[in-house]
Amino acid sequence: MDETVAEFIKRTILKIPMTEMMTILKAWDFLPENQLQTVNFRQRKESLVQDLVLLCESKRASLRDAALLDIICEDVDLFDMERFKSSFEKILRRALKNVTVSFRDAEENAVWIRIAWGTQYRKPNQYKPVYVVYYSQTPYAFTSFCHLKSNTPLLSQALTVASNHHKIVKMDLRSRYLDSLKAIVFKQYNQKFETHNSTMPLQETLELDMHMDSRIIHENKIEKERVQRVTQETFGDYPQPRLEFAQYKLETKFRSDFHGGILAERKEPLRCLIKFSSPHLLEALKSLAPAGIADAPLSPLLTCIPNKGMNYFKIRDK
Amino acid sequence: MEWANDKSKGGVLAHLERLETQMSRSCKNLEDPPRETAESDLGTKIHKLRCLRDKLRAEVKQRQARIKASTANAEPDQTLEISEQEAVGGKEENMKAILQAYRFTGLSGKRTSRGVCVCISTAFEGNLLDSYFVDLVIQKPLRIHHHSVPVFIPLEEISAKYLQTNIQHFLFCLCEYLNAYAGRKYQADQLQRDFAAFLAGPLQRNSLCNLLSFTYKVEPQGRSFPFCARLLYKDLTTTLPTDVTITYQGTDASSTSWEEQRASHENLFFTKPLYQVFTSFARNGERLDMSLVS
Repeated sequence: MDETVAEFIKRTILKIPMTEMMTILKAWDFLPENQLQTVNFRQRKESLVQDLVLLCESKRASLRDAALLDIICEDVDLFDMERFKSSFEKILRRALKNVTVSFRDAEENAVWIRIAWGTQYRKPNQYKPVYVVYYSQTPYAFTSFCHLKSNTPLLSQALTVASNHHKIVKMDLRSRYLDSLKAIVFKQYNQKFETHNSTMPLQETLELDMHMDSRIIHENKIEKERVQRVTQETFGDYPQPRLEFAQYKLETKFRSDFHGGILAERKEPLRCLIKFSSPHLLEALKSLAPAGIADAPLSPLLTCIPNKGMNYFKIRDK
Repeated sequence: MEWANDKSKGGVLAHLERLETQMSRSCKNLEDPPRETAESDLGTKIHKLRCLRDKLRAEVKQRQARIKASTANAEPDQTLEISEQEAVGGKEENMKAILQAYRFTGLSGKRTSRGVCVCISTAFEGNLLDSYFVDLVIQKPLRIHHHSVPVFIPLEEISAKYLQTNIQHFLFCLCEYLNAYAGRKYQADQLQRDFAAFLAGPLQRNSLCNLLSFTYKVEPQGRSFPFCARLLYKDLTTTLPTDVTITYQGTDASSTSWEEQRASHENLFFTKPLYQVFTSFARNGERLDMSLVS
């Protein structure tokens, strides 16, 4: 048997969870029942896989057989909304007796969950609920601000288990606008594509404001056009998702062009917090260079916000 | 002291006065001429430039007149040029139309400054559905700049497997997934929209439309008990279910006629798209009505 086929089979079998191993091997129907019975399924997974691969080698498994196993193992997410809801609620109730959980099916793929937390001795506080929006078969959930931080691990666990994932990570992305958060994580903000069917001309002429008096000449027209071009390349033509803040926690040494100076001599890193706030932060950043307030191109720390899906940064010296 | 004696007419003080006036006069002489010469220099320069400008303007006018005269003389050639231009323009329009029509093949693209923007136009049973775009940057390694593929389609997995090694396979695989998703979604939407009368409750579905759960009746008027259907589409590249479970909760659940119906429904769901299944229910219902009337 080819070495690559053996490797392929080994990796495919490693992906199968132990609980489903027997079922899948039987469905594959390549290794006969009597041979499977000779294998010790209680040993460690790595050793089990080795034994199975040896059996496949002795039966001279081909690439086709291996591909068939791959198809059987394909982990297709059959998300069942009802099962998610019951699983989610069960996990919360098992841990906390006093909790109110309600569900509302929003758009076709999404469920809105309302959770009112109580404690062991107190009834749930209906005036400070937490809302969670989960889009089925996506790895993202959106939660509103939770006053009781102690319940966050339980909420995370319920979401993870009910949605059939392995772990959950908190993203450093916060905004008041759910649609903007969706646009950023689902990468739906940049939806302009070049096709032969587009009615708009591709080459957009960078016209400066032509309402001005014709006797006024723009002395730095070339520079202005360069700034416009760079801004368009960075931010695109699309409407920016709406965020209110960008926060940078710096823990870096002071860097300066001038040698000497008090701050430059500090051995310890400076700690400071820089916060940008705006009713529409990304549009404001987009207008900085054309307005002449900042140089173009802007710092990548500012322009990476939608790409990286974060607006809270911790920056340390490497 | 010679010169003092020569020139002095009033002694040392007078001499100093004379020196002073001499100095101030020479200073004035030093200042004025530069200003004057600078001004007059600029003045002559402006005059020269103006003359040059007028000369150039006159020359341009002359040349334009000459060209007009020559084109007026060459009119018959001009009409031939125009018709050639029209022919080329017509061909261009034709090409543009063909490029636009490529969309209907399901897979088309357009060169961009970075690479190519691929358009996957999905369809199901002759109905043109949504288009999805993948903007590729042609670099080593090949990468996706941005796309409009929904987040629940396993684009990352497909690109990890095929994008770098076999781009054709990558595109065909993605086409398969998107067309199948579009077909399943179309079936579910159609069921909710056109056959709502047959549904006894809401249609439960997920993002990929690969799990559908609903209760339905064979007759919209609802004299019969509803059936519960659960359709699983484990193969994300197909538009027909891989698992069908029909259950029946009526009182005469054990009767053979209902069991036969249940089995035949299962078979229908396995083999036909949803709207065909429900159209056949409607037709059967009509046939029953006709038989009652006659």
